[in-house]
Amino acid sequence: MAYLPLANLMHHKLRSALSAVGIGIGICMLITLSGLARGSLFEVAERLESVDADLIVSPRGWGENTADKSGSALPDKYAQVMLQRHGDLVAKAVCVFVWPMKLAGQDHRAAGVDAADWPMLTGHPHPTPPGRLYDPEGRFARWLEGQLLAPADANDDEVFDIPAAELARPGRDGLELVIDSRLAGAGGFRVGQKVRSAGHDWTIVGIVPAGGMTRVFLPRRTAQYLFGCGDITKSTMIFVKLRPGVDLGPAVRKLRATVPHDIVPLTRYRGMLLEKFGILFTYVDMVNSIALGIAFLFIMITLYTMVLQRTREIAILKSCGASDAFILRQVLAESALLTGAGTAVGIALSFAAAAAIEAVRPLLTVSITWKWIAVAVAAAAAGAIVSGLYPAWRAVRVDVVEALTLE
Amino acid sequence: MSGAQRGSLWILRATGYGLRATKSRTSTIADLDHILTATGLHKSFGRGPARVHVLRGLDLAVRRGEFLAVMGPSGCGKSTLLHVLGLMTSPDAGRIVLNGGPVGRRPAEWNALRRTQIGFVFQRFNLLGELTAADNVAVSLRVRGLRADGHARDLFEALGVAHVARRKPSQMSIGEQQRVAVVRALAHRPRLLLADEPTGNLDSASSDDLLEQFRLVNRRDGQTIVMITHSADAAGRADRVVHMKDGRIVDGQP
Repeated sequence: MAYLPLANLMHHKLRSALSAVGIGIGICMLITLSGLARGSLFEVAERLESVDADLIVSPRGWGENTADKSGSALPDKYAQVMLQRHGDLVAKAVCVFVWPMKLAGQDHRAAGVDAADWPMLTGHPHPTPPGRLYDPEGRFARWLEGQLLAPADANDDEVFDIPAAELARPGRDGLELVIDSRLAGAGGFRVGQKVRSAGHDWTIVGIVPAGGMTRVFLPRRTAQYLFGCGDITKSTMIFVKLRPGVDLGPAVRKLRATVPHDIVPLTRYRGMLLEKFGILFTYVDMVNSIALGIAFLFIMITLYTMVLQRTREIAILKSCGASDAFILRQVLAESALLTGAGTAVGIALSFAAAAAIEAVRPLLTVSITWKWIAVAVAAAAAGAIVSGLYPAWRAVRVDVVEALTLE
Repeated sequence: MSGAQRGSLWILRATGYGLRATKSRTSTIADLDHILTATGLHKSFGRGPARVHVLRGLDLAVRRGEFLAVMGPSGCGKSTLLHVLGLMTSPDAGRIVLNGGPVGRRPAEWNALRRTQIGFVFQRFNLLGELTAADNVAVSLRVRGLRADGHARDLFEALGVAHVARRKPSQMSIGEQQRVAVVRALAHRPRLLLADEPTGNLDSASSDDLLEQFRLVNRRDGQTIVMITHSADAAGRADRVVHMKDGRIVDGQP
């Protein structure tokens, strides 16, 4: 026997299809916008969390601003202090100089690193040949091998000033960048290419797989000199790797007694991002709520129209003895079927939208998770019930004689 | 009804064989003879100066297995009478006893009685356009908590519409649609079939055919039928004819 609500929907294919698409657009917006906001933000967090470290030391008072700060504020000496005084706790302490650089039309938090720290900062396997820290296939021209300052200079604890003409000399060592594969794809960059950013010309000397601490790497001394006003004694943050078996809480307390700056677990970074940028989620959630509200209003109007147009059919069912509960179930079943179809359309659309967004803007991340699909399904189910209630109530109140007589 | 039949009915009722009258202190022998008795029915529509008093103290009794025709001029209240007897609308006053049990005032009770005891054939068939003939019957049975079975198939065959079972109403003739409507009304084995001008929209050949089908189910299966009509020819096929005028039965044994 044809299932009556399904038969009714199939009898008005165009109307049913349009209603389903309307729902689908709302569901797609919910999943895609949430995935875009959360995906992009959490991708940043995941890249930082890929660093093989337990703690971040950042300048005192930065608080939740650690997530987006840069420049030189934290003396490098504290890395040595922690290693020397707390060698039982600290296995590694790595200084990183962070600076915003614009490439492929987007700002990136470039990381000035020392080549020896590459494996810890990117999570990639330890290098083999010296100078080829991540180049198992020999694809790099060089890898951050240039030296803006001579080793002897770099050991001095002074501020340096290189003449502009000297700095602009073609092939000047140290003005090298390594970028990740997503940035290379977005900008069409290749190894050996010259790019201009942050007021200087750079040579791309390597392209590494995406997923490391950042998308742009440069020699730390170069970053300190160029963006730290010539001061090569300070960086932006220090990553600390604890020894195996060391408890986090007690270790942090001991280190804070020595280092007068903020020390937070690396796992706290995601929370700092949320505190700083979480308002974006509120905005996205509000937009989604409005979109869903409109979609379900659409469903209610469609069902209400269908009930008004089918008072005769409802009266026929009632003349057969259909109870109010039966009529209610029929209308709510139609609502559920429409919403179910719309949800399926919306989920499919969201995957397509995510692929399209990432194809057009490779640096954006749309994270479609089962959690948000479940949220969408739950929202759709609730909306189906709410949208169907008033039309169902109207259907139950159809007067049999009046409906059949007027026809 | 013979004495043996009456005695059998009493035994059935005493064992509570799905009949409400066992609990009714107002059931009488007369009620047992009649599938339906209506007493003092009043029904009005509208309010104030526009109020129309359609049924004015109407009395009617229908025997079990009877084919009764109710005739009357337009506006005398025939359809209203059928709607009241079919429990689709409540009388303002009066009493209805259906199958030995008095009918109360609760809509839920009416729904239950319409599901189990009553089948209705409309003048305009009122089939669901998006379903096939078979599905129209199946939906009617589903509403009643039943499944389509051999009886429904037999009815399709008996009424000569088995060949349109998989067609939608738009693909059937007028006569076929009305016969499918009769199948739908009888598929759940109602005790009482009510037909509101069933031949009103049919041509003479289809009308004759339908009325013959009514006689057939009445004679063969003992189906009780109450048919309202303004056609003397149609009324002539019935066992008994009563005439209505101004909301009352004015001619024929009520």
